[in-house]
Amino acid sequence: MAGLGLGLCLLAGLLTGCSGGDGAETIRFTFSKREAIPFMTKVVDEYNASQDKVRVVLDTSGVDVVSASFVRGNPPDLMLANYNMEVSRFIDRCALSDLGGTAAAREIRDDYQPLLDQYGHCEGRQSALPYSVMASSVIYNKKVFADHGIAAPRTWDQLIAACDALKAAGVTPFEATAMDNWTIGQGWFDYSVGGSLDVVDFFKRLATEGDSVGPASQTSFSKDFAEPMTKMRKLLGYTNKNAPGLGYGDGNLAFAQGKAAMYLQGPWAFSEIAKTSPDLQLGTFPLPMTNDEKDLAVRVNLDLAAMIPQGSKHQAAARAFLDYLYKPGNIQAYNDSQLGFTPLKGASAPKDPRVAGMIPYVDKGRVYQGPSVLVPKTIPVFNYAQAIALSGDAGSTLSTLDADWARLAFRAPATKEKAK
Amino acid sequence: MSTQTLLTPEAPTSRGARGRGLSSRFRMERVNWPATVLLLLCAVTVLLPLYVTLSMAFKSTGQAVDGNPFSLPAPLSFDGFVQAWKLTTFPVGAGVSLFVTAGTVILTIVLSAFTSYAIVRNWDRKVFRYSFFYLLAAMFIPFPVVALPQIQLTGLVHLDNPVGVILLASMFQLSFSVLLFTAFLRSIPLELEESARIDGASTWSTFWRIIFPLLAPMSATVGIFAFLYAWNDFMMPSLIISDPALQTLPVRQNLFQTQFSNNYNVSFASYLMAMAPAIVAYLFTQRWVMAGVTQGAVKG
Repeated sequence: MAGLGLGLCLLAGLLTGCSGGDGAETIRFTFSKREAIPFMTKVVDEYNASQDKVRVVLDTSGVDVVSASFVRGNPPDLMLANYNMEVSRFIDRCALSDLGGTAAAREIRDDYQPLLDQYGHCEGRQSALPYSVMASSVIYNKKVFADHGIAAPRTWDQLIAACDALKAAGVTPFEATAMDNWTIGQGWFDYSVGGSLDVVDFFKRLATEGDSVGPASQTSFSKDFAEPMTKMRKLLGYTNKNAPGLGYGDGNLAFAQGKAAMYLQGPWAFSEIAKTSPDLQLGTFPLPMTNDEKDLAVRVNLDLAAMIPQGSKHQAAARAFLDYLYKPGNIQAYNDSQLGFTPLKGASAPKDPRVAGMIPYVDKGRVYQGPSVLVPKTIPVFNYAQAIALSGDAGSTLSTLDADWARLAFRAPATKEKAK
Repeated sequence: MSTQTLLTPEAPTSRGARGRGLSSRFRMERVNWPATVLLLLCAVTVLLPLYVTLSMAFKSTGQAVDGNPFSLPAPLSFDGFVQAWKLTTFPVGAGVSLFVTAGTVILTIVLSAFTSYAIVRNWDRKVFRYSFFYLLAAMFIPFPVVALPQIQLTGLVHLDNPVGVILLASMFQLSFSVLLFTAFLRSIPLELEESARIDGASTWSTFWRIIFPLLAPMSATVGIFAFLYAWNDFMMPSLIISDPALQTLPVRQNLFQTQFSNNYNVSFASYLMAMAPAIVAYLFTQRWVMAGVTQGAVKG
């Protein structure tokens, strides 16, 4: 009973604390990127102190809670969230309001629009605005490369030559972590495909095939991905022997200890590697999959996108805070701190030397979104990628992927229609 | 739990015959190697993770990811606790968790005791018999199945807060608790109540003065199950509570499980702080927990 009493007092205290009614309009802002919470807390505090019309409450409770709030009918007023297949459901169902008229929308670089549309589209609406773009490619250990007189490869042949040279010198060329299937999907699978073909075009063609994707169709995973997968398997021959038993954390540790020359991970791994070796000299280059340098491209994901749900009752206040978030000082500072690229016209790239190798490609728009994240989550594409990497039989796994895609297109044709 | 059950066979042996029985008793007490090894293995499965949790919590971030989970923390760092405390606003989270847990435990015990008493003493009436089966049927409906309508319902009636979680959690505990209580109630002789009736007690006072005190061991069992469920539950509070400031501890801790970064020291420090109340509660109520668990096992 004492516990209940205590709890009740606490609850009462909280409720009164929340509704500190001083006339300001309170908006709920969800943001759950753990490593950037201190930064965003500071931004929110500064905004709350700078004016007294809108009071922003930061909500870090995560994706599940946000989905539940949509069901309940009290969605957050502003979301800054990872832009992925989960979010695409809200977009396809027009549950997000139009941001086309905001000042921020005019500043966004145009070449990100096709990438936004890949995840869904609501007719006549700009449902989301990109906030932070993460570019990922091959991370390499500059010291190991310099020690063996190797330059960052720009063609497939150079890459194989570099791998052979490293192997001959007793250095493991690639660190792979096959136990965590997403690392195979994100790195090996996506880089191989993205470096070989035009991903946007491929998924467009796939969408027109609809439920007829299969052995007989013009476009299919088994047809278009066969060659990249063969090459991926060749590269996997240059990895550490214990790769099947290593997880993401083990890979970060091994790479930080200098056990391999290259690592197929995104910028999020930098801070993990720095926990063990803060002074390691690292660089990045796009994985060359062909002998044509024009095919070089880096994988990007729209790590954060801003969205204002249609169900929010504070549209104007949310837009005011949105504009504050997109102030060059804030958005640029955020991306600099997270090694992300700012999707605004004329924005400068992050200054960190570790991502410098990707800047020319991002600036020129030579980017693609990973095919592994463009396939709806109901298809276990990460597991398929892992199966291809470990078993060696790409053909049968890719035809399973085809069949899954066709089945999904058959069952949910409407969403596929819009995705075009 | 396993300790208790494995050791009980000793009792009848010691009660056995004198002469030969005495020596066999000594043999039993010397060392039972297979059982000892088995118990040691069982103990290791609990103690080893607990040790890793403890040592990880006191490590620095750099040491926590060095691939040696069993190493001792060097240097001793309290940074994990400080960060975990701040990131989860621990006092508030623990307060809400405590409120939800206490509410669920109390409501579950009282409601299911009421229900069971009514059902058992009116077993000859159809309504009560069928309501028992109706309640039992709820055991087959897990929360995820009804999650969506529950989210909408609680939102409509403004129960999208810890109070709503208490109500729902108690309802989900009800069927199992009623099952336990009814089985126990059947073993309480009707004569006890009759004597109370003769002394002029109403149904209400018979229940509170005679029956409820007699139910105490089973109430402990029911309470323990409700406590563990409410304290550890993640899904229901995460979906039902809409105000992030009123979220329970397990939901707040979800923050530490991300794909891209490992902060073992912070997460384990936080888990340790969340585990502490359960462990402390167990230390003090161990006697009743053991008694309660076996109570639930043998009655029927």
